[in-house]
Amino acid sequence: MAERIKDAEDRLLESMFEAAPIADDGFSAAVVRRVRRGLWLRRLAVPVAALIGGAIAIKPLTGFVIVVARLSTMLPPELVNSATTMIPQAPTIVLGAMALVACLLGLRSLEE
Amino acid sequence: MAGILTLTRVEDDELVARVVSKQDTVAFGELVRRHQSQVRNFLRKLTGDIATADDLSQDCFMHAWDKIHTFSGRGSFIGWLLKVAYTTFLQSRRKSKRYSEILEQMGHAMETDARHYSVQSDEVTDLDKLLAVLDEEERAIMIMSYACGLSHREISDATSMPVGSVKSVIFRGKQKIRTSFDIKDHQHG
Repeated sequence: MAERIKDAEDRLLESMFEAAPIADDGFSAAVVRRVRRGLWLRRLAVPVAALIGGAIAIKPLTGFVIVVARLSTMLPPELVNSATTMIPQAPTIVLGAMALVACLLGLRSLEE
Repeated sequence: MAGILTLTRVEDDELVARVVSKQDTVAFGELVRRHQSQVRNFLRKLTGDIATADDLSQDCFMHAWDKIHTFSGRGSFIGWLLKVAYTTFLQSRRKSKRYSEILEQMGHAMETDARHYSVQSDEVTDLDKLLAVLDEEERAIMIMSYACGLSHREISDATSMPVGSVKSVIFRGKQKIRTSFDIKDHQHG
């Protein structure tokens, strides 16, 4: 209202629209409680979903691992040996990469 | 307690920065405490119902928490907050309108009209009578201007309307009030 000059009608309307301030009476505390609850729910959602997903996936996953293990025994031994002779550090590199990914994911979830 | 006491001296913009950067719920609580009265008064006048207005106010602050990073700091924080409150109000209106449409399609008659303003209180004040002659948009803009003291520019930001349109809505609203009520008689009691 500062950008224009108020006339008598404006002042009358202002006085008619005027209202007494509303006491907080726990309103802001209730809002903050809702906000905090929402934050906690968001933080819990990912780990809980991962747990549930893991629990559901564990049976088919073990079956899959068994199938892969059986297939690996069927591979010709020359092929397995040639991979380790070509890159001798291959298992260490794979393990390191997996550890790095796990660390990055852990750090990200801690930041969040 | 000491933290809350020191926050009372902190400007709105700094509190917003704390909320955005650290998700500081204490700083947000201080912002709510400062502005709840204006937001609740705005929504009470807009809806004509205290309980609905207070529910909408809570929803408004929840939306504000989610969207606070979009506050640019260009205008006042209360102007931005009233924009969120008005959007929350319009969304709830749309939902209730859709709800009544569905009920109508199912054969249930709904007596409530989304655009109709009715005071849910035994005591009807002069202001209630005055607001009843305005349509929803005029009511919101007149309240922002005369009850919340927002500038035309701030109302324009809050309603996403050009400043010229805000001015014409206020002009139209005043004309409606003038024709419906004898303002001069009211002035003299």
